[in-house]
Parts: sequence; C-alpha cells; structure tokens
Amino acid sequence: MPQLGESIAEATVVDIKVKPGDVVADDQEIIDVETNKAVMGVTTPCKGKIDRITVQLKETYPVGAVLGYVEASEEDAARFARRAPPPPQREVAEEIPARADEEVAPAREKKIAARDGEGERAGGLPVPAITKGATFMSPRVRARMAELQLTTADLAGIMGTGAGNRVTIKDLENFLHKIDNQTAHEASAIRAGVADAMRRSWTRPLSTIGSSVNLDPVLQDRQSRGPKPGPGLYALRALALALVENPGAAAKLIGNRVVQSNSIDIGIAVEAEDGIMVPVIRAADKTSLADLTTKYKELVDLARQRRISPDMQAGGIATVSNFGTFGMEWGTPIPLPDQTLLLGLGVGKKVPSWDESEKEFAPKTEAQITLSFDHRSIDGGGAGRLLKRVIELLENPKEL
Amino acid sequence: MSITYLEAIREAQAKLLRDDDRVFIYGQDVGGTFGGAFKATKGLAKEFPGRVLNTPISEDAIVGTAIGAAIQGMRPIIEMQFADFSSLALNQILNNVGTHYWRTNVPVPITVRLPSGGTKGSGPFHSQSMESIYAHYPGLIVMTPATVEDAYTMLIEAVAIDDPVIYCEHKYLYYHLKADKLPDKGLPTGRARVAREGRDLTIVSYSAMMQESLAAADELAREGFETEVVDLRSVKPLDIDTVLASVARTGRLLCVGESFPWGGTTAEVIARVASAGFHLLDAGPQRLNAKDTPIPYHPNLWSVHRPNAKNITAKARALLRE
Repeated sequence: MPQLGESIAEATVVDIKVKPGDVVADDQEIIDVETNKAVMGVTTPCKGKIDRITVQLKETYPVGAVLGYVEASEEDAARFARRAPPPPQREVAEEIPARADEEVAPAREKKIAARDGEGERAGGLPVPAITKGATFMSPRVRARMAELQLTTADLAGIMGTGAGNRVTIKDLENFLHKIDNQTAHEASAIRAGVADAMRRSWTRPLSTIGSSVNLDPVLQDRQSRGPKPGPGLYALRALALALVENPGAAAKLIGNRVVQSNSIDIGIAVEAEDGIMVPVIRAADKTSLADLTTKYKELVDLARQRRISPDMQAGGIATVSNFGTFGMEWGTPIPLPDQTLLLGLGVGKKVPSWDESEKEFAPKTEAQITLSFDHRSIDGGGAGRLLKRVIELLENPKEL
Repeated sequence: MSITYLEAIREAQAKLLRDDDRVFIYGQDVGGTFGGAFKATKGLAKEFPGRVLNTPISEDAIVGTAIGAAIQGMRPIIEMQFADFSSLALNQILNNVGTHYWRTNVPVPITVRLPSGGTKGSGPFHSQSMESIYAHYPGLIVMTPATVEDAYTMLIEAVAIDDPVIYCEHKYLYYHLKADKLPDKGLPTGRARVAREGRDLTIVSYSAMMQESLAAADELAREGFETEVVDLRSVKPLDIDTVLASVARTGRLLCVGESFPWGGTTAEVIARVASAGFHLLDAGPQRLNAKDTPIPYHPNLWSVHRPNAKNITAKARALLRE
C-alpha cells in the first residue's frame, strides 16, 4: 500500500483488476483503493507476472501493507529496489521475520481490537492503542520550541509523522524551513502581546450567551446628557452596577480558591494600530456616567497614541467590547486571561416590534448583547441572570 | 598485505616485548610451542625466551603473581584463556588491583587480556562479555576495541599506562576482521570515534557489536535512513561528550551491547544521555543487549540470543518510527 497522501494512514481495496498469472507492465494500475479523500490506483512496482494478490475486496489496509506479489526478472526487481522503497510500516517481530505468506490483518480489525481492549497489553492489562497522543512533545521538540519562543498553538499547522501523529523534531524543522521560504516580518509588540493573552485565555473552557436589548431608551437618554456617552459606556456602567449587586459573578477560580476583587474596575476594549488595548476604569460603580464619558475620551486618545501603560490596563475584573462599532451584530469575544467576564455589544438595528396595546408593529432599535465567561467560575444560569440585569438597567437608563 | 584482528594483537605483544624489557606475558599455555588457545602468542616464546611464561591452571594465582611483579616495576600482560574464566580471579582484580593505587599510592600497571564474546557453538562458559562487570568497579580501565587498528594501538597503550587495564578482545573478530596495515598511532584512551556519520539515528556500540551496527546502518541506508555509529572504543573511561554531540545531531539513540541486559554499559550510556541530554532526545532512548539467559550452545539459538545486524536493524526501524 503506497503512501497516498500526507495524512492518509490506510485505504480500502475497492477493485482488483488482475488475477494471478496476468502479465503486467511497469507502473500499470492493478488495484483501486479508496481513502477518505479519493479513489486511487495502485500501480505495479515493475513489469512481470502477477504471482498472487494477498488482499481482499472491501477490506482496509494500512500504508506499507503488502497487497500482492509480482514475479519479475532479477534485473527489473533490482531496478525497483534502487528506487528506495518506503520502510515497512508494520511491526515485525524483532528476530523472527514474518512468514512471507502471512497476511496483514486488516486495519479495521485492529481498530476494533484496540477499542475492545484486546490490543496492546502491559502486565496482562489492556492499554489504549495509542498511549502517546498527538499532543506528546518530546524533550527535544520542547527545547527547540523554547529556543525559538514558540508555543503549542504555533505548531497547530504541523502534520506530525511520529507515533500517534506526534510532531517529531524533523517535522518541526521542516515546518520552520517552509516558513523561511515565505515572506514574513516580525510581529509588533502589541500583536505579540494580544496573541499571548488570547492564547493564555484560550486554555480555559470559555462560553458565550446572548440576548437582545432595546437600545431606544439609551439613545433617547444620551440626548439629554452632556457630554453624550456612547452605548458602550452605558453598557459598562450597567455591568458595574449589576456587579455591585452580585460581585461573585466576576470572581476568578484559581486552583480551588474563588478570588474576588474588592473594587469594580472594568476595562473597555479600544482598537489600536495592529492590536487591542484595554484601559481600565477604576471603581466604575462609583463613577458617574458623565465622569465615565470624560475619562473614556482621555483613555481613547492615549490608546490611539499607544500611550496606555501596562498599569492602566491591569487589574480589571471584567471588560466591555463594543463590537457594534464595526457594524457587527454578534460575536463571541474572548475574556482577558485574568478575567472571568466579557460583555459584548452589537450594532443597533431598527426592527419591527409588536406593540400589544396598540395591536400593531412599531419600530424599535434592537441590539444583541453577549456575555462571554469562564465556565469554570460561573455557569449559564449565573451568567444569564447577570446579563438579564444588565439588560434591565440598559432599558431604564435614568438609573445609570 | 592483510592482517587480522588476532594477528594485530600478536603483533602488538611482539612489539611490546621488543621495545620494553619490563614486559612479559603470563597465562595458561601461552608459552612453549602452543602459543595460547587462540594462538595470540604463537612464536613469541621462541622469539623472546623466558618472557612468555606458562602458568598453573589458577586465574587467582596468575593475577596475584602479576600484581607482585607490577608493584616491583614490571609490565605484565596476562592472558585469560576465556573472559568467562576471569571470574575466578575477581577478588584479585577487583579488590587488590582496583584499589591498590588508592590504598598505597603505588600503581599496578598490569594488562589483563580477556578473549570475550560469543562465537558459534561456544555455549555458556566460553562466550561471555565481562566489560560491564569490570567497568562497574573503580580503579580499572576497560578497553573494548572494535577494529584491527584499535586492537593493535590500544593494547600498546594499555601496557604503557600506569593504571590496570582490562583489555576485552572479541573472539568473533579474531579471524573475521582484516585491515591492510597497522597504524603507528591511534586515538587517545577514553576517546570514542564516530565510525559512520548520519543524521537520523545514533547507534552507540563497541567491540563486535560495533561491526554489527555498521552492517545495520548499511541496511538502514537502503531504506533512506542515515545512521551515525559511535564506537566507544573503551567503555571506561566513557566518552559521553562524543555520544551527546552525536545525539544532538540525530535526536535518537540506540545503544547496542553483547553483554547481558541487566545494568551494564548500554544502561550507563542511556542513563547519562537522559541526564545530560534530555532536551536532545526526540524519542525514548533504546538499547539492545543479549537475552537475559545463559548463552545457548545451539547455533540457531545463539544467533537470536545476541544482537546482530538483523535485529539491530529491526530495533532501529521501530525507533525511527517513534
């Protein structure tokens, strides 16, 4: 069974076009095999006479399995041998070579045996067929990654060729070599920072829920205020007040300890060149919407000049992302790695809304509001109640 | 001109007897016209009268006598008829020779030649490899030449140095291994040699197994794998730097030895590589030794009892697939 593609480990025989005694040419298609990608023809290694076919129709065989034998002249056989055949993929007993007429067990049977715990055994007990999963990194691969400051996520694009599809040092070096031949530039510090934060955050079980909110009350209310706060700031203020009532919702889980901050400091995501900055508004629950608006303007200006210091971005317990400013209705933003919650606000859209008292549809500005959370710390119910309370507050903006 | 491994050992002894009056050879049937069980001293008794001496059949007494001579300034070369029989002299070698310099500040420059390893039909008492036993104890240098050239230069070196040396010569290589000529100089004691360069796998070996490993490397080359073969030359001192440098190039290690599997030289190499070069390994380090049973007589059983090119290749293939 030839190597049929980079990720192909086995194939099923779907047609055998020759029988023993048939004279075949060099490179003649004699067996059709099907993989999960396509049907392909297996060709003769050299010209000669078919001695026997050792596989059966509709059975699946691993790459490297013997499909049959071609009787060939020594000359032709020698020519084939020079074309460096692939190493056999099948385990052979160390000292006692497999008998030539021994058939390879179909891969499907092997799989079933492994599932039933009849595969490999250690000390008489069944062990999973593959004890080294794809995530196994050898000390050498780890050392090389550390040297190049690579993380596991950077290796996602590598198809491992080792046992259990693990990435070997050769796979890694080949991958790096390929990259060397492509255009690349060094990532900016802010890009690398965002990448690192997102990678760390993604190690957690994150979930997102969402609902719709009527934005008309907010849009009406902001007309009466000066300076005029944006919807994102209303959302930030609503989240702050909801967290005052339920501070446990933003708690972090570290080991077996639930850690809760004493101050309701909330960050707001600001797009900067080649990345995102998240300046934090301290004690957002004790800051009026007017003060918030002034403060926010200052922070945005600083962010655009990339003059937000790490201190100004640290210590938040939750973050607001107003992805509606990009015209987006829905998203599943990722909370910062040291925070449990992220509130997202979509763009407001005019939608028809049934007015029960007037018995007619009336226009309403509706937006989608999402809450992404670390499911280790809080569940759908808790997150849902918090989001519901935020929506209530947004629909009664006078209280904000 | 062609010279065998065995002839190189005889030539080295002739040269030593010729160049240094302090040298004498001492062992069972080494003198007279017999010239030793394997003819490693053939003709030397006649050429150097009174300096190639037959002994009683007592390994204990042979080594004991040699210790006295060495303390008094001589450079005795002892031939054990088979390495296996040296177990009868363990007390003299390990307790007296090995500790003498530390106890008295007086060196014991003896060389003990051990005809080692298996040949077809030699059975449990005439096939053993004792290098790991002697390497385990402090105070001894243990040489395991794998080539005709090393057999010659290392024996000369063994007699020249003041430390006691256990010189393990392989019986299978006696007649099988030939060279065109003998060199004047070899690598220093304690330096391993890269016998074949490669980048996919390192095989560390010594003595006859080094030759089997080279044959396995040829077989693996036909399958597209480039195997680096490191010849330890002496198992003590152990040149771990050369081994680590090779593993740094290949990321994979297979260590092959003919002695029994429990503990020993292959285990020592792997322990040191795992400690000092954990970050160099791309797969678990592997080793291949003889089976953990007495060495069988029957040639068919013997041929699968010890490592050989075929089972080294199979083991290497499995490691390359890891």
